[in-house]
Amino acid sequence: MQKTVRKKANSGFFANLWKHRAHVVMALPAFLVLLFIMYVPMIGLTLAFKKYDYSAGLFGSPWVNFDNFKFLIASKGEFFLMTKNTLMYYVIFTLVGTILNVAIAIGIDQLVFKRMAKTMQTLMIIPVFISYAAVQFIVFAFLDRNTGMINNVFGTNYRFYAKAGLQYWPLILTVVKVWKDTGYGSVLYMSVLSGIDTSLYEAADIDGANKFQQIRHITIPSLIPMVTVMLLLSVGNLMHSDTGLFYQVTRNIGQLYDATEVIDSYVLNSILNSGNFGYTAAASLFQSVVGLLLMLFANWMVRRIEPENALF
Amino acid sequence: MQKTAVQQPPKKLSMHEHKKIGPGQIILLFLIMLFTIFCFAPVLLVFISAFTEETWINSNGFTFFPGTHWSMNGMNSVLRYGSQLLQSYLVTIGITVVGTFFGLLIMSMYAYSISRPGFRFARFLSVFVLIPMLFNGGQLSGYIVFTSWYGLKDSLLLLILPLCVTTMNVIILRTYIANSIPGELMEAATIDGAGDYRTFFQITLPLLKPSLAAVGFMMATAYWNDWQNAQLYITTNAKKPLQLLLINIQKSIEFLLNNNNVPASVRAAMGGTIPQYSSTMATVVVVIAPIMIVYPFFQKYFVKGLTVGSVKG
Repeated sequence: MQKTVRKKANSGFFANLWKHRAHVVMALPAFLVLLFIMYVPMIGLTLAFKKYDYSAGLFGSPWVNFDNFKFLIASKGEFFLMTKNTLMYYVIFTLVGTILNVAIAIGIDQLVFKRMAKTMQTLMIIPVFISYAAVQFIVFAFLDRNTGMINNVFGTNYRFYAKAGLQYWPLILTVVKVWKDTGYGSVLYMSVLSGIDTSLYEAADIDGANKFQQIRHITIPSLIPMVTVMLLLSVGNLMHSDTGLFYQVTRNIGQLYDATEVIDSYVLNSILNSGNFGYTAAASLFQSVVGLLLMLFANWMVRRIEPENALF
Repeated sequence: MQKTAVQQPPKKLSMHEHKKIGPGQIILLFLIMLFTIFCFAPVLLVFISAFTEETWINSNGFTFFPGTHWSMNGMNSVLRYGSQLLQSYLVTIGITVVGTFFGLLIMSMYAYSISRPGFRFARFLSVFVLIPMLFNGGQLSGYIVFTSWYGLKDSLLLLILPLCVTTMNVIILRTYIANSIPGELMEAATIDGAGDYRTFFQITLPLLKPSLAAVGFMMATAYWNDWQNAQLYITTNAKKPLQLLLINIQKSIEFLLNNNNVPASVRAAMGGTIPQYSSTMATVVVVIAPIMIVYPFFQKYFVKGLTVGSVKG
């Protein structure tokens, strides 16, 4: 009985597919790109359990079970360090970034000089469009030992691009990240703010609420859904960093790795310098699996709090 | 999440009109202005240093106020890269234009298909586009599969394909189709005898413009600024995009700084001089200027067209 029911459903499915064949055709190109660019490479992660042999290729390389992971954990230093850095910068960037994005959005929204606000916003967004390959030169102009503006203005002699400058890099990277992304990051929040019903403010005004009270009780609560969504989206990328920031802006200087190496820059270095692909794949798999779990967790959390903000 | 879509009319300015400008407004203006300067000053510094005398930077460092020490030498030495610069420009423009238009076309067709009511396969397709955002092979797997399996080495395809379909962009387009384009319009077209393709190209696509502009501009920027794929895959000079040229300049500076006795032949190959501060900044100008010029025209679409929706449903 059940079999016939399923069969019927199936034939219905194929009839439906045929009826919508135009939609299948239209979805096909992007489907194929996703398949070959995103899905097939997933097979490459099996390398995490293999010892990569250039001549034998992906399938021909011998299995080594968990040896690569054992090595990663045994070589505590580097793996631990890059994981720590990845997490640390995620926390700093997300915290500082979210607060500033929201603050700038509210600030611009509250400003009565609308024309000026618009111009300032336009200027603020520009850095997001500059590649890290170019940003690197801008940062250099500030930090270089001889020609850098910081050393010249303060009459100091800091060597930022050497071991002696290690301690400054968390701050430097945060400042660069804030400089690059805040203007653009605030646009999304501004779009929410411009959607708030103005009668709410008017009512609050009549009730004698001052500006700060209005912001606290009207503006901020209305931003919470968007903040939740953006945080959720970012949690899934927790294990991924802005590779350009850590690879280009730091000029990939080995002496700075203690403060600047993240999993993504380690992987990139490994590919470019033909490092051990087995270990690298193990690190990648670790990165992907943890990322997946975090994303599922975050989505589940949001689903419980605000179902309509959940991603899936 | 759909409720975050911006469909409300823009806030009326009247709300602010009756307010007088208090000290709070002045302080706020000052703070935001300060942040604007923080954001824009470094960009300005690039342009100023590109036109500053090399000797001045060497002795006084990078500065916003080079006094009378302006010079065109930096720009001139960039032009000395001549044919390579032109070639890189062509490569970058080529991949940006082809990638953006191709990506927009196939992503909007995909988004359109998965938002068709009654299309049962859409569920699978929605999940299919979502998964890569949750789980992916990472750079290394991509590198191995692209180069050894697909045999794509030093190929411009590797600069175009990896960036042309992204989960976020499909979601944005899908949300826009679902929320901002009335379904009745497309139904009416079908009733009037328009086929599925015609409905998409003549009804949906034109109405999708604000979203296409926003997504397209973000894609174009991603293509223009992509250095990572170029560094991983491109080796031939003729295929090097601008960003890779920038990276090579930095590498050659480092090389020259670390090697005091560089043979004359190498110097000659680099155009007679070691790339210097002002010429490096001039190269940066050449690389970033086009986006800065185009961007204000697309800014108005950012808010309107970039609303994120969810893939469920």
